[in-house]
Amino acid sequence: MNFILLSIIGALIMLDKYAFGEFGISQPIIAGTIIGMLCGDIQSGIFIGAMLQLIFLVGLPIGKDIPPDGQAAGIVGTGSYFLLRVTNLAGHALCLALILALISAIIGGALEIIARRRNERFFHLFMRKGKHLFIYHFFGLIPAFLKNFILILPIFLLANYLIIPRQFPELSRDLLTIIALSIGFANAIYLFLKKSTVVYVILGALCGLALLVF
Amino acid sequence: MRLSFTRFLKVLFAGFFIQTSWSFFSMQGMGFLYNLFAGADKTQRRKILKTHKGFFNTHPYMSSYIVGATLRAYDEGNISPDEIRNFVAITQTSFASTGDLLFWQTLRPAMLLIAAILAVKSGIIGPLVFVIAFNFFHLFHRIRGIYDGYRMSRDVIYILKAKRFTTVRHIFEILGAFFAGLLLSLGSLKMNYLLLLPITILFILLLMKRFSSVLIILAVLLLIIIMVMV
Repeated sequence: MNFILLSIIGALIMLDKYAFGEFGISQPIIAGTIIGMLCGDIQSGIFIGAMLQLIFLVGLPIGKDIPPDGQAAGIVGTGSYFLLRVTNLAGHALCLALILALISAIIGGALEIIARRRNERFFHLFMRKGKHLFIYHFFGLIPAFLKNFILILPIFLLANYLIIPRQFPELSRDLLTIIALSIGFANAIYLFLKKSTVVYVILGALCGLALLVF
Repeated sequence: MRLSFTRFLKVLFAGFFIQTSWSFFSMQGMGFLYNLFAGADKTQRRKILKTHKGFFNTHPYMSSYIVGATLRAYDEGNISPDEIRNFVAITQTSFASTGDLLFWQTLRPAMLLIAAILAVKSGIIGPLVFVIAFNFFHLFHRIRGIYDGYRMSRDVIYILKAKRFTTVRHIFEILGAFFAGLLLSLGSLKMNYLLLLPITILFILLLMKRFSSVLIILAVLLLIIIMVMV
């Protein structure tokens, strides 16, 4: 799929993060599935999306806190993997895509602060004029979309034309699974382990072991 | 003025945009005004603009309860601007903390965890389960919130004791804990558990010590680089 079109679709999906609806479709696992579907390899999209989801399971947008952009990581990770895979080995593509995803999560968090500061201007303009609420409110969609597009486009442009040298390390799916499982487990324990829930964690682990053995 | 179906739909639709103009200064201030405007007539809009021009912040899904109750107060018309401002100020924080605990801290991560496990084991079923189940709860609160807010008016705050908040949260805490345990079985018996455990412990420590989330992501990046090099 064309990288410009993919960037536009990615930026539109990311609007779900806060600008419109918040239906959860911008979460890495869903965004990965959508991008995988568009690029013709839904299984890889789901796999990368699920792994990034485990890494970004904790990201609580509470109050003024803006955590790293897990949603951007999901879209950049899956999108750049499919673009890189066209001209590179799958292991190379996966490794670079994951690195780009993590970097974009940090940059995305910073860009979001800028976009939300831009919205302050619309609020002050509205306060001064006291009318055209509809217009000033929906102006907020512009920085939200642009922030996503500005973040995604250069990365997809790079991924579309980059030829990765052979010396670049490869990342296997098994290794990514181990890393994502470890971080996902740590995130889940941090969120759900309490005195009252210890028994359910043990029960889950025992059920898991039973599933593994039988 | 009563809560007709058309009026309800307008308020519901506007609710999806409550955070569109989110800023550090007013947070959801303009979104809240826009949401109230969607369900108000011209005379009410003038009053609303005078009373609510400023700061507002709550959980986006929970805003429907406050919007419903505020519209009812304007429909009844026997409440002063100060009273209504106080009502909004009190309810927004209560609904914000309940919504954050219910959705951001419990329901969403638990469902995403289940979805990730299902996705690795059964492919497309995982994402589908998440989208359907999560939006069932999400839309339930958006829709019922407007009706219950309008019905209960200034007593809407007492709804926070309802089972839809307390029991649901408890159930998803248990589900989250169970699937956290189950997560370990995602791999296989061949998987390198000696590698998995130290990484898990490292990240639990980073999270417990409340390191900044940017630092944690940098640690993940460093870990990946080290592991692919080795």
